[in-house]
Amino acid sequence: MCNALGIVNFPGSNVRIKGMHDYRPIAAFSFLGRYRMIDFPLSNMTNSEIEEIQIYLKNRPRSVFSHVGTGRQYNINSKRGGISILYGENSPESEFYNTDIASFKANMRIIEKSTKDYVVIAPSYMLYSMNYDTLLKKHLESGADITVVYKSVDDAKTRFIDCDTLALNKQKGILSIGKNRGNYKTRNISMETYVLSKNLFIQLIDEALKVSSLYWFTDILNEKCEELDIRGYQYRGYLAAITDLTSYYEANMELIDPEVASDLFKEEWPIYTRTNDSPPTKYTEDAKVRRCVISNGCMIEGEVENSIIGRGCVVKKGAVVKNAVICPNSVIGENVYLNNIVVDKEANISRVKNIQGVCGSPAYVRKGDRI
Amino acid sequence: MKQQMLAMILAGGRGTRLEALTKKVAKPAVYFGGKYRIIDFPLSNCANSGINIVGVLTQYESIQLNSYVAGGGHWGLDAKDSGVFVLPPREKADTEFNVYRGTADAITQNIDFIDSYDPEYVLILSGDHIYKMNYAKMLAHHKENNADCTIAVLPVPMKEASRFGIMNTDESGRIIEFEEKPKEPKRKITSMGIYIFNWKLLRKLLNDDDKNPDSHHDFGKDIIPTMLNEGKRLWSWRFEGYWKDVGTISSLWEANMDLLYRSKELDLQDQTWKIYTQDKCAIPQYIGDHGDIINSIIDQGCYIDGKVEGSVISTSVKIGKDALVQDSVVLPECQIGEGVQLHRVIVANGIKIAPNMVVGDPNSEEIELISKNVR
Repeated sequence: MCNALGIVNFPGSNVRIKGMHDYRPIAAFSFLGRYRMIDFPLSNMTNSEIEEIQIYLKNRPRSVFSHVGTGRQYNINSKRGGISILYGENSPESEFYNTDIASFKANMRIIEKSTKDYVVIAPSYMLYSMNYDTLLKKHLESGADITVVYKSVDDAKTRFIDCDTLALNKQKGILSIGKNRGNYKTRNISMETYVLSKNLFIQLIDEALKVSSLYWFTDILNEKCEELDIRGYQYRGYLAAITDLTSYYEANMELIDPEVASDLFKEEWPIYTRTNDSPPTKYTEDAKVRRCVISNGCMIEGEVENSIIGRGCVVKKGAVVKNAVICPNSVIGENVYLNNIVVDKEANISRVKNIQGVCGSPAYVRKGDRI
Repeated sequence: MKQQMLAMILAGGRGTRLEALTKKVAKPAVYFGGKYRIIDFPLSNCANSGINIVGVLTQYESIQLNSYVAGGGHWGLDAKDSGVFVLPPREKADTEFNVYRGTADAITQNIDFIDSYDPEYVLILSGDHIYKMNYAKMLAHHKENNADCTIAVLPVPMKEASRFGIMNTDESGRIIEFEEKPKEPKRKITSMGIYIFNWKLLRKLLNDDDKNPDSHHDFGKDIIPTMLNEGKRLWSWRFEGYWKDVGTISSLWEANMDLLYRSKELDLQDQTWKIYTQDKCAIPQYIGDHGDIINSIIDQGCYIDGKVEGSVISTSVKIGKDALVQDSVVLPECQIGEGVQLHRVIVANGIKIAPNMVVGDPNSEEIELISKNVR
């Protein structure tokens, strides 16, 4: 049992996925065919034996509600602890008032009610696997007020754009929190994963509101860097941040490689998701499949290469799908040619025979679209 | 709470003809179709037919079966008024402790369980058949005919008829003759081993049968003939659709192949009648650079870098580079090494086959079961 309340937070304005975001919050994005983004932080939490979990959402909660449900699929005990899905019920006059701090404040009573002494906060737009119970132990050993998880990356010029960065002293103390504008190769990317005591967390929320109604949690942390002992904790495994359509596409693509995937999916650290009771996938006489990740419930009659195919998709005869992320329940019609593309859920492409994005900037087909 | 109809699944069979596959598990828990177990079919049929309470009668190696069905959550049978219960023989006050002496005795020993739901009807099912059936339709037929017992029937080829109960009906569908597993069957309308009884009547018949020292305590051999003799109203209900008894290695293999070659009849993709099963949290299947998959079914968690043709590959199987898997059924968590050739085999779950081994014969009539690691 882990003595922490788990909080899955929504991202700030640095995350904007053209198209897909119109239909659901990032927590509910389909990922790697059978998952949704929220499966990763939730599985990390339940595998770490965190038994009280709060999921914060800004808007459009429907798909998260139906996916997460009671949380049983994540191994959440339905009697002790449980999952609450919370969203700001007072609609602010302007979108920019919709901060995580405002949302925490609105749900303060539920946070106070938690029986746990600590909180672990994780973002819904980052993918990694990590044991938070170990993290909490490290935090307690260090004696720090707040621990912030980060990863040192050397591709910050092209990836993790607009994510938080940490300036650290030699003792891993955080001097300040900045933004990655893509100007430098190596950066300490903040994974927006925080451990602190519940009391300090509540205190920081109130203090943030006193300073500015537009403050996010990261803003108040930045302001407290000198006053409090805030330290970095380095993570070395797989990390992806989904901030735009390209990074969404690239994270899917790179996880086709089993070596990369084995850094995220570990045998002793399962990633849970809601089952859809799909049958195994069927391949016909004409199927031709190379280097792909394919979910259950599909019917593959055409050619698929270097792609991710979501649950319940149909690739018809003569179709060629290359370098594509096809979200669940889409139909790729006969003789359709797709390359460098993200196809959102339940789309049906049959009349237009050729859609291609350019390398590095994938094309996007809307949810439920008929083409 | 009162239930209109309760289902009891007879899952006691040891299934010796399935050889090593049933060494540690009861037949209904044997894997089928890439991700399912045989018992998923009757249980999903129950769930889809609106039956809430299912008893599973078992006595052979029931631990795995028990841990598998317990709670009923996999099939959605876990609401307040529903559940799946594994019922092995148990010791009771004032009676002798007995194993289940026959199919009817298995029900007799659980009269108290059935009574606690006070059902109008009881549906008796077999745990080792692959089919999709709406039992609600059968019940409607039962009620229309004001029957005491309704038996689901279907035509089978003459050569197979001796494995089943054979019956004779009049024009209206009323059963006038019944023979259980006859040596020389006269007709080819056979019982599917699926019965609906009025519970009050069956309860009385079972209690009488229990006291009869000459009885085999079997539905086909004792209960049904007794009902016929007593002039009870027995009706047949003709089932149209796919049905297979998977009692042998070759019929288990055939039923798997039917998913490839007769998928119109046995359609697992049908969204209106889903077959539910335990979900393993496996990642989606990965098909590698050398993968080549033709006319096959593959489940999640697999890593395939070889050629797979005309085969059913179950959850989390690894198939190495340059391997060839042809006309075979590979059960969960097997590891097929690089360059291996498999022809016309069933590979039992968890088996490892070392690189470059050739197993099975493409020209063989027989289907071979591989139940030991091949080195």
